[in-house]
Amino acid sequence: MQFMEARPDGRAVVYAHIQADALVARLGELLAAATTLQRLLGRAVMNGESTEADTWRAMFPALFGAAAPPPGDEGRERSEAILAASLEVADRGEQTRSQFRGAIVEAMTERLLAERTTPVRRERRILFDGRPAEIHPYDVTVERDGASEAWDCKWGARGIKADVLHQLDDARRGAAEEGGRLLVGLVVFDARRSCEVRLVRERGPVALEGLKLIALEGLDRLAGRRPG
Amino acid sequence: MPATIRDLLDTALAAFDALALTAEPVEDEWQYVRDLDTVWRARLTAVAGARGEEPGGPEAERAIAALAAEAGRISDPHRAIDWLSTLPQVALAALGESA
Repeated sequence: MQFMEARPDGRAVVYAHIQADALVARLGELLAAATTLQRLLGRAVMNGESTEADTWRAMFPALFGAAAPPPGDEGRERSEAILAASLEVADRGEQTRSQFRGAIVEAMTERLLAERTTPVRRERRILFDGRPAEIHPYDVTVERDGASEAWDCKWGARGIKADVLHQLDDARRGAAEEGGRLLVGLVVFDARRSCEVRLVRERGPVALEGLKLIALEGLDRLAGRRPG
Repeated sequence: MPATIRDLLDTALAAFDALALTAEPVEDEWQYVRDLDTVWRARLTAVAGARGEEPGGPEAERAIAALAAEAGRISDPHRAIDWLSTLPQVALAALGESA
């Protein structure tokens, strides 16, 4: 099993610019350190129509209401920063925001994984002896002897599709055939309940066999933390 | 008269129904929309069954009103599908419940 750089193509060049955008990095960092509720705030705002911050503050009383941490508190400041940065994404128009959201989930995943293990890489292909490589790279990989991982990142449960599952399964099987081990999984910035119904439809009742699913409520597991 | 948790969940479910209608033109995702409807309606209904008579409180009332209004602004069918998953999560969080 060998990890390699992805082949540069038109899509990769454009996407690399988005991945390098400071707003993507800022949100990746904020969401990696966030609570589940703060992450849900980011998801709702980046998916929403309203550009008024107070509309979103009203929707999340546990973050901004009377019983929320007061202004100046680290958690409150993070909620405000996530709200402001998410509104910036929402303000960029439908097509751009869609690309940004995917890149943000990848950036967050990279940071969370890096808390637990190294080296963590982005946009990598995996080659196995005697097999043609998949064309599409894996979003985030951990390239560690005996404990490698390949993650595909999705903004929403709707992104869980047969081809995505096939590619992850294929990599896991390829590693096993070589006598190695590769943990493969999906990181989905959406509720586990929505992910599970999608997985069952795409793959039947044995949907999770051999595949790790990390949904919004469990993102801290990527960092080796208990979900908070 | 202050709204109960059941009143607030009724508001959330009405907004949820409107989103499902907006999502309807995406024929490829008809089954997924139905599945989301099934699992999230069951979760919200379970909370109504357990806590329906409790007063919601002014902050939860404002939160659900803002959430329903936001859902009403969604006119794109694809965005509506995303919101069919987002709306119940935000509604539950506003009521102090997990997803």
